[in-house]
Amino acid sequence: MTEAATEVSKGHVEYKTRELRLHHRSSINLAARQFARNRAALLGLIAFTVLVAAAILAPLIIDYNPNAIKLSEKLQPPSWSHWLGTDYFGRDVFTRVLYGGRVSLSVGLIVIGFALAIGVPIGLTAGFFGGRIDNFLMRLMDAFLTFPPLLLAVAIVGMLGPDIQNVMLALGIVRIPVFARIVRGSTLSAREEVYVRAARAIGAPMRRIVTSHILRNIIAPIIVQITVNFAGAIIAEASLSFLGLGAQPPDPSWGRDLNEARRYLEDAPWLMMGPTAAIMIAVLSVNFVGDGLRDALDPRSWRTWQTKKESSGSVSESRGGN
Amino acid sequence: MGNRLSYLMRRLAQIPFVLAIVTITIFSLIHVTPGDPIQIMLGMQTSPDAVDALRKQFYLDRPLPIQYFIWVKNAVRGNLGKSIRLNLPVTRMIAERLPVSLKLAASAMLFALLISIPAGIVSAIRRNTVVDYCFTGFSIGGLAIPNFALALLLIFFFSIKLDWFPITGIGSSAGKDVSLWGAIAPFILPAVALGAQQTAILQRLLRSSMIDVLSQDYIRTARAKGVPGWIILVIHALKNALIPVVTMVAIQFGYLIGITITIEFIFAIPGMGFTLLTAVVNRDFPVIQGFTLTIAIFFILANIVADVLYTLIDPRIRY
Repeated sequence: MTEAATEVSKGHVEYKTRELRLHHRSSINLAARQFARNRAALLGLIAFTVLVAAAILAPLIIDYNPNAIKLSEKLQPPSWSHWLGTDYFGRDVFTRVLYGGRVSLSVGLIVIGFALAIGVPIGLTAGFFGGRIDNFLMRLMDAFLTFPPLLLAVAIVGMLGPDIQNVMLALGIVRIPVFARIVRGSTLSAREEVYVRAARAIGAPMRRIVTSHILRNIIAPIIVQITVNFAGAIIAEASLSFLGLGAQPPDPSWGRDLNEARRYLEDAPWLMMGPTAAIMIAVLSVNFVGDGLRDALDPRSWRTWQTKKESSGSVSESRGGN
Repeated sequence: MGNRLSYLMRRLAQIPFVLAIVTITIFSLIHVTPGDPIQIMLGMQTSPDAVDALRKQFYLDRPLPIQYFIWVKNAVRGNLGKSIRLNLPVTRMIAERLPVSLKLAASAMLFALLISIPAGIVSAIRRNTVVDYCFTGFSIGGLAIPNFALALLLIFFFSIKLDWFPITGIGSSAGKDVSLWGAIAPFILPAVALGAQQTAILQRLLRSSMIDVLSQDYIRTARAKGVPGWIILVIHALKNALIPVVTMVAIQFGYLIGITITIEFIFAIPGMGFTLLTAVVNRDFPVIQGFTLTIAIFFILANIVADVLYTLIDPRIRY
């Protein structure tokens, strides 16, 4: 009899998990649909994809070498053979913008990866354990947040030496507290949810609770922060390279090339157009995607979508939030 | 009132703690990384005795914690040491450079307010019209373009092409133009380039808070009893819509002081950022320490002022 009972409850559990999984899949589906409805976000995603593809496939797209010096063709205005002109060393600007994207985008990626790898565990620890640990960790993070990030990065890079790897390290350090804070805040509220308490009550190991119960439910705010900080990291890298602290010549870099454009502003104003446009497209597209994700990952936006579609719509549905 | 005071005291009490963490971080970074400032200063050809003597003078022969405590002890008394490179007292350098950066940040903020307040109001009233879309477009662009790229564009159009504004001139005494225009002109391009981002932020903020206020009941009441439109706009609506803007101005002002560095670099302005950049390249420890400390204090104070202003202006908020 007990056997039959366990059999039944097992079946019930199986049924339940399948239902949950279905729900899980459909929530991703709903988020994706909501995202696709946002034209700016979609446009941003396309622009960003093109930018990334152009950076990765640069050698296939273009025959020029970004560092090939050809003094006979120096400071040429834009033409059919050089779409964005050539710089003082006769290097093709369009080629350098494409290759520069490799630097900027990979710096953004590594900076976010670094900040996530350290900031998320700090935030989880502080939020989950609370008390003294929380107090200590968060005061420490606050101290870093009360310092202008660009200057902190300048100081760190200056100390370690001007180099693109040190730029990644400095920008990563600067962004740790941002992620630690957002994760801590979400963890604090997730910790009190019924499903976490239930997991605790049945004696689920701490690691499981943190990774599969808490982390999975606070992923939305983290994803939105990733996009915002990715755009910030691109601008910060360009700033540091512009100041001569990042990518070193002759490596192509948007910030570094703008610094060179500054010297020939009078004779070759077209030099600044490529890198400036590239930075703006990168920042704008990532921000649009971020806005779209913020909207799409908010379950309230799905409900308004559904009620809009079913014209009958339930009356009690609360629609606030936008 | 008592609550507010105790909140302020608590915020102020946090400052030393925060400053300690910032200075210890910078201090350990300076001393952990390779590169001896004395060697850089004297070159490789000097006698070991001279190097040792200088090292003693800057306490570089003592253990790190001792060096830090010596520095703190002196800093509390208002002595931040001497620049290794320039042999000037760091406090005097700060006294010279800080006003330059403050003036730059203030003129950027002034520009931001002059543009963003009218633009924000118009956007809110003419919501979802072509005018609003134009302002929104400019704001989005202003947030996406790095300030140094904008500075290059401005220099190209307004200095090189049109020759309206000089490129340099802030802080240099040579060939000083004594007229009012001569005093203002060099600030205009740096202020616009530096303040563009703040203009965008404040315009967005004022637009949304204005829209929020305009939909309140008391505005409808005022309209219903026949108050003229512009009085409703300025007296009733703007006064309340500016509450979040005031706080944001204080926060952004602190932020501006932290990002003047690229603008100071382009326009060769001898402010805090430019000096810090040079000091970082030369590994001039006392200058880096003193300048980062000063900037951190300003940043923290700006944030505290923002919090206090928030409670003073909006009587609904209590701590």
